[in-house]
Amino acid sequence: MGRQNDLLQGTLDMMVLKAVSLGPLHGYGVLQRIQQISGDRLEIQQGSLYPALYRLEHEGWITGEWGQSENNRKAKYYRLSASGRRRLHAETEKWNHMSDAIGAILRATPEEI
Amino acid sequence: MSLSSRFSTWWKAVTRASQLDSEIEDERAFHIESRVEDLTRNGLSRKEALRQARVELGGLSAQKENCRSAWGTRAWDELRSDLRYGCRMLIKNPGFAAIAIGSLALGIGANTIIFTLAKQVMLDRLNVEHPEQLRLFGWSQNEKSGAVQWEWGTDVATPKGKMIDTSFSYPIYQQLKRQHQEMEDIFAFKNFGRTTVTIDGQSEIVEAELVSGNYYKALGVKPELGRGIQDSDDGIVGSSPVAVISDSLWSRRFGRSTSVIGKTLELNLVPVTIVGVNPPSFTGAESVQISPDIFCPFSMQPIAFRRYAPSLLASTTNWWVVVMGRIKPGANEAAASASFDAALSNAVKATMTLTKDATMPRFDWVDGSRGLNEMRRQFAKPIYVLLALTGFVLLLACANLANLLLARSSARQREMSVRLALGAGRGRILRQMLTESLLLSAMGGIGGLFLGYLGHNLIPNLLSSSWEATKIVNHLDWQIFGYTTAISVLTGLLFGMAPAWQAAGTQASSAMKETAQNVTQRRRGFAGKTLVVLQISLSVILVVGAGLFTRTLSNLSKAPLGFNPANILLFDIQQPNTRYPAPKDIELHRELEEKLSQIPGVDSLTLSQATLISGARWMYDFTPAGQSTKDADKVSANFNAVGAHFFSTFGIPVLAGRSFTSSDTSTSKKVAIVNQQLVKKFFSGANPIGKIFTSSLSHSVPTEIVGVVADTKYTSVRQDPPATFYEPYIQLDNLESGVTYEVHTHMKAAAIVPMLRNAIQSVDKNLPLMDIRTQQEQIDDTTSQERIFAALTGGFGVLAVVLACIGIYGIMAYTVSRRTNEIGIRMALGAQAGQVLRMILGEASWLTIVGVLAGLGIAAAMGRLITSMLFGLTFWDPLTLATAALLLVSVALGASWIPARRAAHVDPIKALRHE
Repeated sequence: MGRQNDLLQGTLDMMVLKAVSLGPLHGYGVLQRIQQISGDRLEIQQGSLYPALYRLEHEGWITGEWGQSENNRKAKYYRLSASGRRRLHAETEKWNHMSDAIGAILRATPEEI
Repeated sequence: MSLSSRFSTWWKAVTRASQLDSEIEDERAFHIESRVEDLTRNGLSRKEALRQARVELGGLSAQKENCRSAWGTRAWDELRSDLRYGCRMLIKNPGFAAIAIGSLALGIGANTIIFTLAKQVMLDRLNVEHPEQLRLFGWSQNEKSGAVQWEWGTDVATPKGKMIDTSFSYPIYQQLKRQHQEMEDIFAFKNFGRTTVTIDGQSEIVEAELVSGNYYKALGVKPELGRGIQDSDDGIVGSSPVAVISDSLWSRRFGRSTSVIGKTLELNLVPVTIVGVNPPSFTGAESVQISPDIFCPFSMQPIAFRRYAPSLLASTTNWWVVVMGRIKPGANEAAASASFDAALSNAVKATMTLTKDATMPRFDWVDGSRGLNEMRRQFAKPIYVLLALTGFVLLLACANLANLLLARSSARQREMSVRLALGAGRGRILRQMLTESLLLSAMGGIGGLFLGYLGHNLIPNLLSSSWEATKIVNHLDWQIFGYTTAISVLTGLLFGMAPAWQAAGTQASSAMKETAQNVTQRRRGFAGKTLVVLQISLSVILVVGAGLFTRTLSNLSKAPLGFNPANILLFDIQQPNTRYPAPKDIELHRELEEKLSQIPGVDSLTLSQATLISGARWMYDFTPAGQSTKDADKVSANFNAVGAHFFSTFGIPVLAGRSFTSSDTSTSKKVAIVNQQLVKKFFSGANPIGKIFTSSLSHSVPTEIVGVVADTKYTSVRQDPPATFYEPYIQLDNLESGVTYEVHTHMKAAAIVPMLRNAIQSVDKNLPLMDIRTQQEQIDDTTSQERIFAALTGGFGVLAVVLACIGIYGIMAYTVSRRTNEIGIRMALGAQAGQVLRMILGEASWLTIVGVLAGLGIAAAMGRLITSMLFGLTFWDPLTLATAALLLVSVALGASWIPARRAAHVDPIKALRHE
């Protein structure tokens, strides 16, 4: 932790939405899935995970529901709502657009200007 | 994003906070448990794993707060903590809280009461369908040559301020009704005033209204029981003796029994069948405040409501019917009015025999949504004055509170600096201070609403005569609630703004460093001093108002009447004209006069057509024989028909000639007695005994003046005695409108009334005694408005003085405590106690003088508006103004005395060390 602190606010939301879009998850599961997919290159600051989940639930993009975990404990599972799916789509497009633009800037060579 | 999820999560966070808390804890526990499992699998000891999992996740309370605020509860939580903090501050200072909430509650309560009254008199509309479509018909004519000679009704003012008459003759109403194009309907009604109703053998007096057959349909009013008056009821005279009764009469006399429909009651001894009961909200088309108890069709007038003419319905000369129309939405008003003008001229020409030079009345109409709106004319001005005064009271309470809060907020500067230093934003501090002010004003508002509820019938009760049932009932409704809420919030903002601003402007560093720099900070107290000046000037205005109205009342009660009202008992008798058509009514009263005079305990008894000091009067043209003056103000004189003992009963001295005697009878020569004013006005002061005159009363039968009596006031205490002539009632044509009996007795009313009642019922068991009261009560009744004003303004004045006292004491005590350091230095440098005392008192008196002068200036400027409400003094009454100024100066100096003394006895050493 520490180095990723300056992750843009929107990126954490987007990653949580993406993680949940692959199937219902509890909070710890979201954490694990993001780390797993990123190949442990990204470490999420755990303290900001739950406020992010609550914020997304408040916005109606994910819905939380209490259920049984794989080891039979009570856990809150989050799943993506229809409006969350739209949001994820929009966020992904925006992200791609931006990373293309930033990539283009970073790839630029003197000859091109 | 969706609103519903936002709201449902917010709602859950707000209403089920503990459930949310435990959910967050559960979720966290699961997270830690899972993390610990993973970590132990990687080789950590369980204890170490638990510690690491907890550290990674962060503190529990911070997490909870972050999750909660993610659900949008931040503003709510802050508000709650501000409120909690505010409540705690109030509980810690119960004295301050009591003064603040109490003064606000009084101010807001007074405003609520006056607004309740104002709303009812000025804003409320008739409770009928689309009242805004109603138009009240009227007309105006040339005073000298106008075609309309006889009229019974009220004038109303048009928006342009012109007065128009609202009475029409019945035949003209019927012709206007045909002029239909722009109107949905045209209907008519007339309040016949007090009528004897007999239900199951018991008589009482109620107000009765005659209405046209289409009245209920046109107004869109559905009776709550039975049916309304219909067109079929309003046909041939007497064909349909029916009545609709008010909800109030239904409860009062029939116990809300549904079997009332079909029952018979007697109206002026004529049997009438009840066909319906009005809804409680319906007050008729004439008034928003008071409902008549009986509604009958016009076809009943010649039978049960005989007055003035054998049949008012057939009369073309008597104008008495009130006409209203419902205009079609979108109709051209000007064109409609013009077509009615033409129709009115045609109708007058068609129905009346006119003299050669008679001019036509010109049609006009006004908004009818409030009926005839008589209350407004009567009470608009007093209500404006009361609204202004209660406004001042509230403003004063605001100033007082702002002052106290300002002092407190300075005392709390240290707290504010600490908050700022700990990272609170200025906006946050501003909000917290405003929340505290609004909390105070909300509590004051609740208190005020409660007072308003207690007092909402106070003024109507004070306004109605003690011998009549309360007629006006105020209803508290959401508009009043809204008004009270609005003024509470407004006052909260008003008095909270300055202290909040000051608190938010605190420098984090300055107050922490404390003291030292406040050796001489004159500018600091500037806001407080302005508030003191404002408070004193508002108090002066209120005290001046109290003085003016109290002195008016005292002048009124001391004003000479010209007669002696002591020990005189009054009651009215309205004989049913159906049973006693003239001249039987005169014979009835002659018999009653004789019978009642013989009752033991009655020292002297008389009767008169007009009650003295009741606002009512009779006026006739008066022409001394041989004079044919056309001078307009030398035409008419006041008149009263009286019994033979009238002058002796009231102790009115007969100055020349003789009083009436029993030898003045209906067949003897017609005689009259005049007062000094009349002698002055019509005979230029020459001896009038033996002179002959004619009057419009006796159809120009010559009448001889046989005596002159002293002047007496007639209609009201305020009006100087008018030129008046008296004739024995026995020589009149009729007494259709009833009479007042005046009994001079030393017995208590309760003891003598049963004897009077027995004597009357031995003549006619269906004759009720109406309105039993003493002459003094009658006089007091005409000054009820003045009494209310004296009581209310007196209360406001006392409140103002008390608040000013608190405010001045507060600000001076605060100033002294701020300046303790400075005073200590002055004393250490050799200042004497007396000098310090003078310095503090000097500052206080300087503020007081500015405040008093400003207050006197405003009071004098506003006094002009209430000139017509005063009696026996002008609005710049020197005594009142001087007393008010003196009172406020002494109160201000008295209130500053204690802090000033404290300052003078400061121990320099302690003062210098004082923080």
